This record gives sequence, C-alpha cells and structure tokens, in this order.
Amino acid sequence: MKAPRILKLYPVLLLASATLAACGLLEYSPNQTHVPAAERHLTAQNVARLAQQPKTSNDTVRFVFIGDSQRFYDEAEELVASVNQQPNIDFVVVAGDISDFGLVREMRWVHHRLQRLRVPYLTVIGNHDQVGNGRLIYQQVFGPLNYTFTYAGTRFIFLDTNSREYGFNGRVPDVGWLRQQLADTAGTRRQVVVCHVPPLDADFDSTLTSSYARLLRQSPQLTLHLAGHVHRYTAGQPFHDGVPYLTTYSFAKHRYLVLSVWGQRNFHLETVAYGAALPHS
Amino acid sequence: MQRFATLFAGLLLNSWSATAQSTDTPTPRPWYVPDHATLQTGGGIGMLTAGAGYTPGRHPHRFDADVLVGYVPARYTGHRAFAIFTAKATYSPFSVRLAERWRLLPLSVGGLVNYTPAAQINRNSADKYGYRGYYWWTPTLRAGAFLGSRIALALPRTTGGKREASLYYELGTNDLYLVSYLPNRQGLSLGQLLTLAVGVKVDL
Repeated sequence: MKAPRILKLYPVLLLASATLAACGLLEYSPNQTHVPAAERHLTAQNVARLAQQPKTSNDTVRFVFIGDSQRFYDEAEELVASVNQQPNIDFVVVAGDISDFGLVREMRWVHHRLQRLRVPYLTVIGNHDQVGNGRLIYQQVFGPLNYTFTYAGTRFIFLDTNSREYGFNGRVPDVGWLRQQLADTAGTRRQVVVCHVPPLDADFDSTLTSSYARLLRQSPQLTLHLAGHVHRYTAGQPFHDGVPYLTTYSFAKHRYLVLSVWGQRNFHLETVAYGAALPHS
Repeated sequence: MQRFATLFAGLLLNSWSATAQSTDTPTPRPWYVPDHATLQTGGGIGMLTAGAGYTPGRHPHRFDADVLVGYVPARYTGHRAFAIFTAKATYSPFSVRLAERWRLLPLSVGGLVNYTPAAQINRNSADKYGYRGYYWWTPTLRAGAFLGSRIALALPRTTGGKREASLYYELGTNDLYLVSYLPNRQGLSLGQLLTLAVGVKVDL
C-alpha cells in the first residue's frame, strides 16, 4: 500500500517547512503576511527606539522626509549611507509606497536596508502597499494604518489617505479619527500630519477634501502637512489658508528633505542630494 | 490540514484502486488517469500542495505536466486561508543511474503559472488608476520559473512497467521578483529572489 507510507512523510515535511519558512526561502505565497518575529510591528519598535533615544534638543525635531521607496533598492542603500552622515537627525519619515506590488518580500527588502539607518524610521501606508494582500502585510510588518507619536513637543499624526484603494467609500481618510488626534493638544506645542496621497490629488476622496482641509486650518498647533505619491518636491498653500502642504521626492530622485520644526509652528527645510545625483547636481 | 491530508490520501487510493483493477487485463489505463501524484511545500504555491500529472513520452519523468492545488493556512495570510491553483511543466533532460533501483535526475528546469482567488486580495480593476495604466500586473496571477533536481527510487510493480517514487527540490522565482531585480542589480542579489520548493512524486 502506497498511501499510508506517503502519509508518514507529513510530519517530516511539516517540520522541514517550519524550519525553512523561518529563514524566508520556503515561501508559501508571495502574498503571505508571515515574517520572522523580529520583523513584525516595526512602527511600534521604532517608536519605542525613538523614546529611548537621547534628544538633541527638547524643543526642536529634525527629521528626514522622503517617500516612495517602491522598487528603488539601489537608491535605498545610497540613502542610508547619506542619512547616516547627517548630524543631528532624530528619525526618517517614509511617506508611503514602501512596496510596488504589495508583496511581503518587497517590504522586507526595504526594511533590510533601512534598518541600517543609525536612527529609527517611520512609515505611512501608500496606495501600492494596499495592492494584493498588501494592507494586511503592511499591518503585520509595520503596524496600524493610522497612528500617532509625540517627540520633542511635536505630535506626529500618520494616516491612510489612499481613498482610491477603498473605492472612495467615504471613510478613508478617517476624518473623525484625525479630528480626535488634532484636538488632543495636551503636552505638545506642534502637530505634523503625514500621509501618502495629498488632498488635492485625484486619488484622494474629493468628497472629504473640504472637511479635511477645514480641520487642518482650524487646528492651532498644526505646523506642516506632509505627503508623498507625486514623487517630487512641492510646497505651497493650496487652500490659501496659511497651512503649508509639502510633498517629497521618491527614492529614485536621489534627493531628500531635512525638516526642522521648533518653537511656535516654525519650520525649516533643506534639500540633500545623494548617491548618483551628486555628480550631476 | 487534516482535511487536506484525507483528500490527498483519497486521491492516491482512488488512482491506486483504478490501477489495481487493471491487473487482470493488461490493457493500458484510460488516458485521463494521471501518471503520478505530487505533494509539495513552498515554491510560493502553498504550504501544502497536492496534485497529479502526466509524463508523456517513453522516458519516465523527462517531461512532467502537473496541476496542483496549494493550501496556505490563515495564520500565514493575515485573514483567511488561501487556495492556490497551479499549472506546472518540468523538463529533466538527464538521468544518471546511481544504484540498482536509484537514479538521479540532476537538472530540472520548469515553469508555472498560478492563480490565488482569495477574496481578501485587493484587485487592480481596470477603472482603478486606469488613467495612468501603472497598475500593469495582476495580483492574483503569477508566473514563475525554477531549476532543481530529483532523486528517484524504482518501486516493484506487479503489472510490469516502471514505477517510481521520487523526491525533488526546486529553486525558483516569480515574475514580480524578477521585475524588482532588473533595475536593482546592486541593491538586490539573485539569492534574495529565490524560493525553495521540496516535494515528492509517486507514479500511480
């Protein structure tokens, strides 16, 4: 009888599976959420690391702002080398589209590079990170789609604005959640909102644009609104209401912004070229 | 898992009894009865993947065509278990005899396509970003290629004819990993694209 003998292979196969799955080579699906335990909940890990980190100043935050690392692995290595040479950087913000196809390996490939940064890095989910099984993968690898943390008197509010990925269901971005976060000003002097799709983009739910912008305008601590998605630097006041909206470079552009915020809603901006951009710029 | 095991055992037994019936009359079995059954893990097509296939031609396992159904438990998908449906072709041009009943197929090359119909997979429907055409791939359909080898043991068969059980491994990748690699030949290494599959095949 062949069948029972074959079935005896089950425990052996399963044991071997578990061992190899742990090192990532034995992949069950490119859409799987499963990653080694050390690579889960990276947002919580990085926020915890940030809390431990000695502050360069009690009232100034200085951070790197870049977006859209999707499929730019050569550039990710160059970025890490450049940022690690910058003095007095508190952390790095990646404004979404960590991956291109929403696959678990892509997020791990990016993490394996960014974990070599001397400072913690924080991400917000992008539209590409929601393709396939990406939304669940992002939640496993990084963490919540909407979250906040406070550093040196500044509350950073990260939220999912990828409305098109939800079929413009009227609930993304979660304006109610954002209102609660902006209303909580205890112990902070400034607020910075970080998202992927900027509010006047065609991929942002246009039925929410005016309530979103009004909310930001009415928040006295709001210093900056930061987004990615467009792969280039833009700055302005699109709603002519005194709220500065910035977008940043993708990894492919070989440039990043260094933002400093301090005092009462003061900010300062520098552009840094890195890697292949250097000889040409 | 249990359900899957029972299903696979049923499949095997079923084909085995079909062969058993033909012992009295040495007529060739009907064309639709598969030549072999396969059980595999990994390779991006399931934690536990079972299937059946055909070996056209005179040389056993020189060319194998298989269809497989893979199972990925919910623990690995973040929500519900995946079923992955795969069509796979394997070509093993060489055969080296190792011992009386053992032979090695040192090189196998192959390709596969697979489909993951899970409801939780966010599709790239045509209207979504259609104005840009930049979601050019299909999240539920993957194509892959692999290299591997295989060791086979001849089994006694009352009806005559060759019958083997074999163990194989495959190192493979898929279309999206390759697309990731091409513009990043410094930033990514080929090793980072690889997936491993390990499986057994038994002739029916």
